[in-house]
Amino acid sequence: MNALLTSAVAGLTAGGTYALLGVCAVFTYRLVAVVNFTGAAIGTAGTFVLIALFEAGFPIWPSVLAGIAAGTLTGVAIGYIMTRWFGEASASTKAAVTVALLVGLIAVGLRLTGGQHPHNMPDLFPGSAFRLAGVEVTIASVLTIGLAVLFTILSDLFLNRTKIGLNLRALADRPMAAELLGVRVQLLSLLVWGMTGAFTTFALMIIAPQRSPNFMTLSLLVVPALAAALIGVFRSFWWTLAGGIALGIVEGLASSIDSVSQYRSAIPFLVVLAVLLWSQREARWDEAR
Amino acid sequence: MSRLVVSNMSINRAELPVVTAVDLVAESGAISVVLGANGAGKTTLLEGLSGIIPVAGGTIAIDGRELQKARPGARSREGLAHVEQGRTVFRQLTTEENLRVSLHPGADIAEAYALFPELVQRRAVKASLLSGGEQQMLVIARALLTRPKVLLIDEMSAGLAPVIVTRLMTAVRKLADGGLAVVLVEQFAALALSIGNRAYVMRRGRAVYDGDCAKLRQSPDELHRLYLGGAESAVPA
Repeated sequence: MNALLTSAVAGLTAGGTYALLGVCAVFTYRLVAVVNFTGAAIGTAGTFVLIALFEAGFPIWPSVLAGIAAGTLTGVAIGYIMTRWFGEASASTKAAVTVALLVGLIAVGLRLTGGQHPHNMPDLFPGSAFRLAGVEVTIASVLTIGLAVLFTILSDLFLNRTKIGLNLRALADRPMAAELLGVRVQLLSLLVWGMTGAFTTFALMIIAPQRSPNFMTLSLLVVPALAAALIGVFRSFWWTLAGGIALGIVEGLASSIDSVSQYRSAIPFLVVLAVLLWSQREARWDEAR
Repeated sequence: MSRLVVSNMSINRAELPVVTAVDLVAESGAISVVLGANGAGKTTLLEGLSGIIPVAGGTIAIDGRELQKARPGARSREGLAHVEQGRTVFRQLTTEENLRVSLHPGADIAEAYALFPELVQRRAVKASLLSGGEQQMLVIARALLTRPKVLLIDEMSAGLAPVIVTRLMTAVRKLADGGLAVVLVEQFAALALSIGNRAYVMRRGRAVYDGDCAKLRQSPDELHRLYLGGAESAVPA
């Protein structure tokens, strides 16, 4: 029993990261109507700037800030491509473009970071925060979940209480109508891309030491993130948050069971499949009638 | 006093000419009515003016400032407001939130409610739940709060009851009397001509009539001929 609890708690850091990446995916989808497959890759780019600076002997916290700035700029650059050239494209075209950009980012990222070459990733928050039923809960777990909750609360407040948030909601509903009213559509879209880039980068910096820190592995964290977003039907921040954390815990539990441990990376895929089948159930009934 | 001057404007869709060499003028205090059968190019003309689609040739100027290369947002900030057809409210936002999106620093939401008092009781209701007439009032009021010099209105009567259409026409006349230059694209020709000052009739992308609204209103046979063809010579030389 204690082993199971230990495994579940071990999954919390990953869960917090999936939740934050998922909430960022929902934020991007709701506000600029893009299912963004590059979300984790943007954060990975910033994380590798941190790694490069750290390995070159720079002090850690200025390197973290430089990494977050790099992630923000990468997000803005991707956002510029999406708003400048694909602003009026359909949702499926935009999603396909982000898949192509993901492939490009991974290719360039692997080339620049030396492929599978191991890197010295600094552990930003080592140690235990507290004990839960005899199990150590790491500072990284508390921090990623805290960051995910913070981003969710801030998103809600920002969208519902500020003029920029109001303009973003209008932009998400009818981009052209918003632009015709003088709303600075491109600037606001880039703000969304920049904000999600910054948060994603920080989350990946926290989780990177626990993963194989190569560009491909970190970039593909977008899969569980999109699974979490799907649990929130790409609308609800809170369901996405819960879905991401649950996904991490299930992954943690799976790693403690020998027979399923080697298949645990398929869990997000199974979740995506299950949610899609569940969401289609009424359509199937309708068809049957 | 503001003045919109459109000269020799041409617009293509999918590389086919939809609007060809159109000249149009709208002035403060006046309504320029644009009439024409379906497919004549009226909506494309307005979309080209507001920047939704690029123009292939010609110039668009408000008070001498050329706008044909500016993005839609920049044209809006220069004083060009476009009320699109199809009542493009922000569906998930309330009536008041819709108005706040467009609120220019020098404008006051009370102006919108003064123009359409019907919206006061609906201020907290999601725009998707408003009636068609209320939605049309909302998009006109929303455009008004951008503090425009020129207001383009596309087919505001589509799908609405005649009593509502009359109500909207009265409001648009009031806006023009308050100093706005209005370009009104409309299917209800008689009603539009009754509130308009200058009329344009478009057929197959060209302006085949440019003249006085009252004169055209008194000649329904001529209007009929302009819609259906055989009257290209009606454009003054």
